[in-house]
Amino acid sequence: MMNRQHSFEIEKQTTSESNLLILKGELDLSKAAELRAAADPFVADTQRRLILNLKDLGYIDSTGIGVILSLLKARHVLKAPMGVENIPPKIQRLFDMTGLTPFIQETSINVNQKG
Amino acid sequence: MNLDNRTISMTLPAEAEYIDLVRLTLYGLGTKIGFTYEDIEDMKVAVAEACNNAVVHAYEPSNVGTLEVRFERLDSGLKITVRDHGYSFNFEEKVRQASSLHDKSLEEVNVGGLGIYLMQALMDEVEVRNDGGTEVVLTKWLSKSEEMV
Repeated sequence: MMNRQHSFEIEKQTTSESNLLILKGELDLSKAAELRAAADPFVADTQRRLILNLKDLGYIDSTGIGVILSLLKARHVLKAPMGVENIPPKIQRLFDMTGLTPFIQETSINVNQKG
Repeated sequence: MNLDNRTISMTLPAEAEYIDLVRLTLYGLGTKIGFTYEDIEDMKVAVAEACNNAVVHAYEPSNVGTLEVRFERLDSGLKITVRDHGYSFNFEEKVRQASSLHDKSLEEVNVGGLGIYLMQALMDEVEVRNDGGTEVVLTKWLSKSEEMV
């Protein structure tokens, strides 16, 4: 059980509205590339909202925050919406501390070009 | 109480996949000493950031070195030293320049220095030394209410 709790997993769900990535476990330097690879194919899909659900994310460090920041930047350039949702309090605290939070808010209200 | 004998040391490969072992050890020791859950979570991130820097910057990819982590119990806190024996990359300079993303636009921000910024924000004291490698010394004090436990 310990192992499952600490490992990192990404669950993907695509609907007509959104590409949803549910992140589970611990996102650190060893897993940042995995998230980038999983999310990259969806960045250019401006027809759908890109959503990261962090409900089951237990840990993140600056490398994970860096991947989320680069996704926000890419979606911002495309004027495509991206949501980062269900952020646990201890992770929200790190987002506030680093200054990521305003960018999450800014990118969540981007309007889909065909919207 | 003689605290000199209460130091816990780990030597591990300077590779990303081993950093979780440092976090697990820190969690165990932090709980034993009586730190709050929040303080332990803060220390986990800060210590991992110091390890990240060593893993990413200290050694050539073809030559994986080692990472030494030492946990020293203080009278009213915990001192964690993260040391590598690799290339020193002006860490002291980076520490001076580290900043958050605040007051910048999404177009101009980049993630450089964020790890060091977090390290400073999450610990009470951060010291960096370069001498044939990089040594980062992180200290967290027990708050008054924790000490009474």
